[in-house]
Amino acid sequence: MSDARLAELVDRAFDYRGYVTVRRTDGSELVGFVYDRGASHIELFDESATKRFRVDLTEVADIAFTGEDAARKSQQIWERRKGTLEPRDTPAWGDWQDAGPVLVVAGLEIELRSVARALGAARRAGRVQGRIGGADAVAIAVGLGGGARRALIDERPRLVVTCGFSGALDDALAPGDLVLGTSVRDETGEEIAAPAALVRAAQEALPGARQGQLLCTTSVAGSEQEKRAFARPGALAIDMESYPLARAAADLGIPWLALRAIVDPVSASLPPFTREERPGYLWPAVRYALSGPRASLDLVRLAGWARKAGGALEAGLRSLAPVLGAAEARP
Amino acid sequence: MSIPVAQMVAVTRYVLKQRLARRERYPLVLMLEPLFRCNLSCTGCGKIQYPLALLKKNLSVEECVRASDECGAPVVSIAGGEPLMHPQIADIARELVAGKRFVYLCTNALLLERKLDAFQPSPYLSFSVHMDGPRTEHDLAVSREGVYDVAVSAIRAALKRGFRVTTNTTLFEGSDPQRMRAFFDEMMALGVEGMMISPGYSYEKAPDQEHFLRRERSHRLFSRMLEDAKKGWRFNQSPLFLQFLMGKRDFECTPWGNPTYNLFGWQRPCYLLQDGYAKTFRELMEETDWSRYGRKSGNPRCQDCMVHCGFEPSAVRAAFDSPRAMGATVLAMATGRL
Repeated sequence: MSDARLAELVDRAFDYRGYVTVRRTDGSELVGFVYDRGASHIELFDESATKRFRVDLTEVADIAFTGEDAARKSQQIWERRKGTLEPRDTPAWGDWQDAGPVLVVAGLEIELRSVARALGAARRAGRVQGRIGGADAVAIAVGLGGGARRALIDERPRLVVTCGFSGALDDALAPGDLVLGTSVRDETGEEIAAPAALVRAAQEALPGARQGQLLCTTSVAGSEQEKRAFARPGALAIDMESYPLARAAADLGIPWLALRAIVDPVSASLPPFTREERPGYLWPAVRYALSGPRASLDLVRLAGWARKAGGALEAGLRSLAPVLGAAEARP
Repeated sequence: MSIPVAQMVAVTRYVLKQRLARRERYPLVLMLEPLFRCNLSCTGCGKIQYPLALLKKNLSVEECVRASDECGAPVVSIAGGEPLMHPQIADIARELVAGKRFVYLCTNALLLERKLDAFQPSPYLSFSVHMDGPRTEHDLAVSREGVYDVAVSAIRAALKRGFRVTTNTTLFEGSDPQRMRAFFDEMMALGVEGMMISPGYSYEKAPDQEHFLRRERSHRLFSRMLEDAKKGWRFNQSPLFLQFLMGKRDFECTPWGNPTYNLFGWQRPCYLLQDGYAKTFRELMEETDWSRYGRKSGNPRCQDCMVHCGFEPSAVRAAFDSPRAMGATVLAMATGRL
């Protein structure tokens, strides 16, 4: 292509209010929005508007105007309705939805306590209302293995975080370690990937957290044997709430994140009373402790792990606050 | 005139400091666009025509504060898009106010009443409500019925809660000077602190290209509208700029006076033209070829422009350049006569 033709294409692409496809001399293609250009380069945002690229003009073989021109579209809409106004009852948010709160979904009340501390608010009737990263936030406990579809419909959150305790599936994970879910998988093998840009931003805010797959079961996998049976490469932790939540969020088009804190390592087995959801665990724990000195020691150890996991969850949410507060609006 | 004394003192100190440092170019107002999406689609607006993914993006609180620190201007005008659609707009305003910036949060007021709880009244914070004239003209300009009434109700609510409220009005071809005079009376009766007026700029990307004012017609409209300005009218602007709109004075544009920061970076050369972006404020100031802009440059896109973002800084500069112009400014402020 001649220099004059390239210069003309670059000028047009810069003026164009839609995506273009840049074909490089090596045959690769890049789709994006050209927002700047210099004597020897162009600068683009990718289609998700999360990454910027600088492309040297010597690498450009061609530019095609492949996306819809937003300016042209706006012109056409205006021409169509020339003289007529949008009605008085048009929603105040126009074509956009109210940004809604950040919704944090925990399983058990003990997990919700850590979330409440991170939000700086008190629990009232199984619900916490506070602020995170400058945005309104609501946290609820849905019970062991509970779903959150109803809460997602009612709250219309801008973002939802499944947040709670997990068992480790990886030997390298210890109590209090944090895991960011890149995807969640249920027992049938169905997998849902978390929004990549959100996971990336979360990882930057939480560099100490491990990233990987979460496995979600319908019953507590409390023994070492059960956990080893579920363990497979890439799967880091096991819980009971992240899959139903990710499924509902994906169905409703709501961005989601999964943040889990490890309580029990792979090699440990949980006491039997933890397999069932109860209003309180005090008496079952006392009964278990009275069953023998070994049980008492197990219990003390478990309490220590739960404290570590709770603290990690609280600290993790605090670190994630800027990412959660900056979640984007939905059209 | 209605610019608060504290703001006048801050701007005067800032300008004197720049002049003592012999700075040729310095900003007065940072135009901060923390997002591009809007809940209206006004016929004369060329700011919001972008693909969806870009419309969904927000500048973070930190990016906004960093831009303000980098720029150093004493006044920050938060524009957009509709700033109240930004999930962290209250935090952005609070942080800028904490840095002692005079913040003008421009809004169409559709969400103002329901968002007021998130803000704290402050002498540094003013809601600058978009009002393009009386009810019929305003609703037509924003292409939606009932917006004028919503905005009036929101202004009342904000004033009642102790917030500073100003209005900003963009005028287009066909504006009726007599109806605009009645509109000024109406705004003053509402109790707003002051009004800002400016002719619209002919954005290439705006849907309606027929109603932008040309220079001579702007002069005619503004002189008929502002001649014998009523004593009770308060304008939150330099009187010399208003005289410029009336054709009583001539200024060259100061495109660096109101630099713009948005998702793409520092916009070259000004709030209205998009000839590219600089990574830093310094790069914008030092590496932009300013000789290519302004009426004298012959740039056809600058010939009819009389918008406040280019000429209000010129008016302020003129006042500091000559005792006579400063005298005229003080006199107009004291008497309200233009």
